[in-house]
Amino acid sequence: MSYLEYVIGAYAVFVLFLVWDFVVPRLRLARTRRNIVLRAKREAARLSGNPA
Amino acid sequence: MNPVLLWFHQLGSPPAFDRFAARWAPVGFALALVTMAIGLYGALFVVPADYQQGDSFRILYIHVPAAWMSLLVYALMAFYAAIALIWHIKLCEVLAMACAPIGALFTAVTLATGSIWGKPMWGTWWDWDPRLTSQLVLLFLYLGVIGLNAAIEDRRAAARAAGFLAIVGVALLPVIRYSVTWWNSLHQGATIKLFGESTMDASMTWPLWVMVLATKFWFVGSLLQRARVDNLAREANKDWARASAGVPR
Repeated sequence: MSYLEYVIGAYAVFVLFLVWDFVVPRLRLARTRRNIVLRAKREAARLSGNPA
Repeated sequence: MNPVLLWFHQLGSPPAFDRFAARWAPVGFALALVTMAIGLYGALFVVPADYQQGDSFRILYIHVPAAWMSLLVYALMAFYAAIALIWHIKLCEVLAMACAPIGALFTAVTLATGSIWGKPMWGTWWDWDPRLTSQLVLLFLYLGVIGLNAAIEDRRAAARAAGFLAIVGVALLPVIRYSVTWWNSLHQGATIKLFGESTMDASMTWPLWVMVLATKFWFVGSLLQRARVDNLAREANKDWARASAGVPR
């Protein structure tokens, strides 16, 4: 027997987990950078006396 | 000062680490993809089917490297956590906590692929066998470290508490490693040995070693990427972090 469907299933799980591991930190990095930029903008607006 | 020690000291500074991680994480991932492509090609298209297991044995080319990584990453996480607890090195806290999701991922891959292999070979998706059960406990330990780190607001206190849990959990590693010899186990003993003769033919083992190397490269890329994010988030108020995020000075 080839058990091909089990082999495909196992490799699909492996690839899916790797894709998740690759994508999630990149999304977090983008979100962290966006938060830093937004915070800097809020601080700049507060210092200049204008509401953001 | 010794140039190597000086380099390590400089790397411990958050902005230096950010630059280092930004440069080397893509290299880790690229090397992983190249070696993985070679390993998977060998595993799926070059090595012959096993005379008893048919093609299902090809699952071991992802199952075994993932299982080894699940143990190695845990040991490394505990090592970083110990350094962080003893010498209060912030970067080691970051690295220890970045290890946890990667280790959990490899453990989950080990359990999932083992289960998928087990169905046609053992006739069941799961058995409360010592190796499987101890590996499941390892996954729970990883999740415990991740959960504890996320539950405490103060990042340094969170990393210390989670790091302590990681260090205590090291006791599980020899249990997993020797579970197949200490108890009667459905899981087979070691067929592939790093030191000593493997019981698997050399013509079938080379893709495995390539995959073992590929998972190491992947880990380097992923660790640097995750640690970079955490490092940046912790240092968000610093000038270098603002500059790195693109805030004009």
